[in-house]
Amino acid sequence: MHQSNQDTTNLVVRCRKGDVRAFQELYNAYAKAMYNICLRMCNHAADAEDVLQEAFTQVFKNIAQLKEEQTLSAWVKRIVVNHCLNHLRKKKMYFEDVERVEVEEEQQIDETQHALTVANVKSAISELPEGYRTVLNLYLFEEYSHREIATMLGISESTAKTQFMRAKEKVRQIIKDKQVVL
Amino acid sequence: MMQQDDRLESFIRQNRAAFEDDGPPPGLWAALEKEIPQQPTTNVVKMFTKHWLKVAVVVLLVLNGVLLTFFFQHKTKKEESINAVALIPELQEAQNYYTSQIEDKLQQIKAIPADKIGLDSTARRELELKNDTYKLLEKELANNPGNERIRAALIRYYQLKLELLDRILEEQERFDSLEKQEPYVKTL
Repeated sequence: MHQSNQDTTNLVVRCRKGDVRAFQELYNAYAKAMYNICLRMCNHAADAEDVLQEAFTQVFKNIAQLKEEQTLSAWVKRIVVNHCLNHLRKKKMYFEDVERVEVEEEQQIDETQHALTVANVKSAISELPEGYRTVLNLYLFEEYSHREIATMLGISESTAKTQFMRAKEKVRQIIKDKQVVL
Repeated sequence: MMQQDDRLESFIRQNRAAFEDDGPPPGLWAALEKEIPQQPTTNVVKMFTKHWLKVAVVVLLVLNGVLLTFFFQHKTKKEESINAVALIPELQEAQNYYTSQIEDKLQQIKAIPADKIGLDSTARRELELKNDTYKLLEKELANNPGNERIRAALIRYYQLKLELLDRILEEQERFDSLEKQEPYVKTL
């Protein structure tokens, strides 16, 4: 996955020339990480595959437009994330402005008593409503800033932050509830 | 509260790799390989040898158009209005993404004969990427580059436009498939 700057530049140059092997190398280098983004965002394996395929088609088609070869990784990732957001948009996911969201009764959860494991955190995230899950994934896993997330989703930065805080709260709640049941 | 926040966040960050699943199924590359854009070189060369005069005239006209646009843009536009979007990289990236998606869909719609799609010239004008709403937003953004609400409105504009174009294409696809089925229905 880690390529030197020169390797990346060469790869992009070969893709621009239509070299099929270069396209395959590009795909092999990014497919796994990008598929994981799609899985997290779409929350459904079949949807994730469709979105990944659409996104790579777009990458292949537009590789000539990539001006700085060194930014290949971030460029591919942004196309994949945008395709995921498009997919969710088609499924009618709305991000409401914070002013219009009815504030739920927030309860503080004593997290110290609940064990965090990769499996239970993953499962709790997958149970989040789509809006919360998207903001949480973009911030914690894809490492975009609140400002970038706000721009991507067409919401204000404060809404992005509030949605993220509530998403975390909800994750903790789900983990707690499950452990009580167990 | 802060400590709790940090606990969940730091757990995810520390175990980031363990959250990754396997890659996509192996068949995906085979499907993608068919989508690799073909190099147009040979077609252009063939076209040149066949219709070289026509091609030369078209190239000259296009070049003139581009040069004139470039010249006027530089003469009339203020520096700050050109740079307003460039100052916010994530907005520029989003714009690049949506612009290419919208242009792509518009091309698909334009390829459908006018009588088949049933859109009049006003509707077609409205569908164009840079309609009056877009121009207004762009102007507002140039005057207030830091304004979050205008930025959000611009992104909403792109999303709504894309949604509208998707719907038109979906409707057309549905209509086409019904049309294909029709001869069969008639024979029943």
